[in-house]
Amino acid sequence: MESRSRHFKANAAASLANPVLQANLKTAKGKFVDKRAISIKEIDDFEGSREAAKNIRNRVLENLDLWLEKFEENATARGATVLWAKDGEEICRHVAEIGLRHGVKKAAKSKSMLSEEAGLNLALTAAGIRPIETDLGEYILQINDNEPPSHIIAPVVHKSLDEIADLFHQVHKTPRKTEIPALTREAREVLREHFLTADMGISGGNFLVAETGSVALVTNEGNGRMVTTLPHVHVVITGIEKVVPTLEDLSLLMRLLPRSATGQSISNYVSVLTGVKTPAELDGPEHLYFILVDNGRADVVGSEFQDMLRCIRCGACMNHCPVYQTIGGHAYGWVYPGPMGSVLTPLYTGLENAIDLPQAATLCNQCGVVCPVMIPLPELLRKLREKQVEKHLRPWFERIALKTWAWVAGNPPLYALGSWLGVRYLKWLAGGRDRIPVLGVAPGWTLGRDFPAPEGKTFRELYAKKKGR
Amino acid sequence: MRVALFVTCLVDLMRPRIGFAAIELLEAAGCDVTVPASQTCCGQPAWNSGDRAAAAALAKKVITEFDGSEYVVAPSGSCADQIRNEYPAILAADPEWHARALELSSRVYELTDFLVNVAHLESLPGNFTGSVTYHDSCTGLRSMGIKEQPRALLAKAPGVELKEMVAADECCGFGGTFSVKFGEVSAAIAAKKCGNACASGADAIVGGDLGCLLNIEGKLRRMGNEETQVMHIAEVLTAKK
Amino acid sequence: MNSREDILGRVRAALGRDAVNTVAVRQDIDAVLAARVQGPRPAMPTDLAALTARFAEKSAVQSSTIDRVANLADAPAAVARYLKGLDLSLAAVIWPSLAALDWRAAGLAVEARGAVDSDMVGITGCFCAIAETGTLMACSAPDHPATVSLLPETHIALVPMSRIVPGMEDAWALARAELGSLPRAVNFISGPSRTGDIEQTIVLGAHGPYRVHLVIIEGE
Repeated sequence: MESRSRHFKANAAASLANPVLQANLKTAKGKFVDKRAISIKEIDDFEGSREAAKNIRNRVLENLDLWLEKFEENATARGATVLWAKDGEEICRHVAEIGLRHGVKKAAKSKSMLSEEAGLNLALTAAGIRPIETDLGEYILQINDNEPPSHIIAPVVHKSLDEIADLFHQVHKTPRKTEIPALTREAREVLREHFLTADMGISGGNFLVAETGSVALVTNEGNGRMVTTLPHVHVVITGIEKVVPTLEDLSLLMRLLPRSATGQSISNYVSVLTGVKTPAELDGPEHLYFILVDNGRADVVGSEFQDMLRCIRCGACMNHCPVYQTIGGHAYGWVYPGPMGSVLTPLYTGLENAIDLPQAATLCNQCGVVCPVMIPLPELLRKLREKQVEKHLRPWFERIALKTWAWVAGNPPLYALGSWLGVRYLKWLAGGRDRIPVLGVAPGWTLGRDFPAPEGKTFRELYAKKKGR
Repeated sequence: MRVALFVTCLVDLMRPRIGFAAIELLEAAGCDVTVPASQTCCGQPAWNSGDRAAAAALAKKVITEFDGSEYVVAPSGSCADQIRNEYPAILAADPEWHARALELSSRVYELTDFLVNVAHLESLPGNFTGSVTYHDSCTGLRSMGIKEQPRALLAKAPGVELKEMVAADECCGFGGTFSVKFGEVSAAIAAKKCGNACASGADAIVGGDLGCLLNIEGKLRRMGNEETQVMHIAEVLTAKK
Repeated sequence: MNSREDILGRVRAALGRDAVNTVAVRQDIDAVLAARVQGPRPAMPTDLAALTARFAEKSAVQSSTIDRVANLADAPAAVARYLKGLDLSLAAVIWPSLAALDWRAAGLAVEARGAVDSDMVGITGCFCAIAETGTLMACSAPDHPATVSLLPETHIALVPMSRIVPGMEDAWALARAELGSLPRAVNFISGPSRTGDIEQTIVLGAHGPYRVHLVIIEGE
């Protein structure tokens, strides 16, 4: 997917001005945040579980190459074909080739963020294969002219019932429904047809289990099961960082993932799929392909950002982020929004293409305390800011302002003079009132609020006077 | 107990009365308070903006200035965190400075934490009367564990009624330079905080970090609220009414 | 250089991979896979009666309905009672492994095969059931087609009480002990399919079943 992260500020402004989005974000926040808080109480030792989850993920990342080889070995032994893709283009080429090889005309897709990264649907269409999104949220986006998702778990959190009802009415050419169950039923009927006639199922992979060469799919709708049971070809597209060692590790992570994501104790379906169907079986794919994807991940291994690869794509960080809660996901401009997106987007699409993302955070750490695998998100954002400074990517006035502040702060007599002048200037700007409505030197502040006036003298000068110095 | 006050640049420039209130509280707890004269800024703006060199230079300055003090106390969770938790990381590459940073860390406290857990302040020098609601500043809460301490101190004031707001522990939208770089988003987040704070019905919004308080006060006034006071906890605990 | 070598090569370089540590780490990996260490787990009851009660409680949270019968032979009647109670079809597709039960006597017309789109009711057993979350574990096999619990609007599962285990870890241990290697598809099923994608409002019956009914068989 092409990145629009360069337009973050403009996009954020548009989000702030969108009342439907603002209302939806408010509702979503209440549901995700509150439900998660209730469900994690079931875990007994939540912090201990986070620590264990962190260690499980780190164990693999620290020797990722050999764990990948182990997964590949076990998957291949069960009849799967393991392919590797450096980037989105290669993902598309692999899938098109597989489609060609097996005479695929229609591919039913359950959720895959990697396929978003790659822009797979467009490539499939160009290759003469019709892709059908089957996750309800992704389907809605697809029929809305391939609109991008705004959240990694709830892709249409930004859309209202009315908007969706209009869309179904236009695209399905059916009478307009007004109730959510009716719309869901309509989607079920439309998509059921496609499930039954798809030649290929494409899924992501929540986890790859090295012990058994299996993929674990975590879903609620049943579409993940459909696309991996009915078609005769199944393609799994997932990042190289998704490997976990054992089924026990999977079990531990499954305690944290659904709870962190939606507050569910468990997702409706957890499918652990290993190899191809045996001749005697009545259902299942005859051909299973894994496409293990790099697309920026390999270069993060061994770097100061490696912790980010622990991510299990739960969405808790964005659900708890005051910035995401205020502007939603589209403003971030790429596949992944919120705190994890603000780290991954610069890493995967280039620091210079996502200048604002690491900056657009208060570093409050509401994300870090809920991350089930203890990723130190504010620290990673700060490190990205450091990288921006190193590469001279910050605007010149910002560099000058910071350098000036640091220089003055390092020079006490200069600081004393500067602050003496500064507070008197601000006091004068306030014109006798207790506030300054427009602050020329920092207009960003006074766009939406006043700047309280200073007392007019500094503490240091007052203290010195008191002490008779 | 000998305490060196780290007054913080924001208090120094904007609200000296908070610095004097902090001294009054520390002296009421039986401390001898000094104020190293050359102090300026802890370097947090530089560190959070990614300027490691500037942050390191200021860290070394602060370490030097506060060498030899028994305790270092700051009326700010984020500044105390910068000194206690970030300085060792900033200076990690230099063994000598790293050791000095760690040593300073062991002596640095946020004001309310110090008053409750080290100085054991028993009675307050002020007699504030009214209802207050407390905003938990993010760094103070999540990096310094400041949650119960200010409330314990407020509980010692017979005239104070604490009315907790919804989402007291959610960010107010200040975020240092974020408030200027992403002013609109910052103000929108502040609006939510102000809404929650006012909904508590308290006469005053109280907190431990001046950055948050300036943000909240500025938003309140722009929203047309002239009645709700915004005060630092040190001011509340020393207020004479 | 092919992509596999390119990607693994960069990862190896980043991790400082050499011939010596390759051997050591491979041994570590084998040790980890053999040890199968479990993470922290919530406390669960140990006696079967309490475990079953927990399973029933959690299944209800997941919106499954539950019935209990004394013996396997009583199951068809319980299933018929459920279907009649909701005015649902008495024609069902069933796992071939359940064909020997007397469905006809209970008034049910069953076919033992994989499901097709027109099937309205699917009846399965389960490999085991997990009390912690109210979850069924279904393992695919020629006589356990996966479509039976997926395509029909109503899914009914017979759950032998002796097969209720505390947690997912126990389910895996059982699978390893009894099946050796994993079947092609292990599906953990926790209630009817659902979606919350439209305005975060949960709706039951997305692409899978609208309703899941569990018949716990105390004597099995």
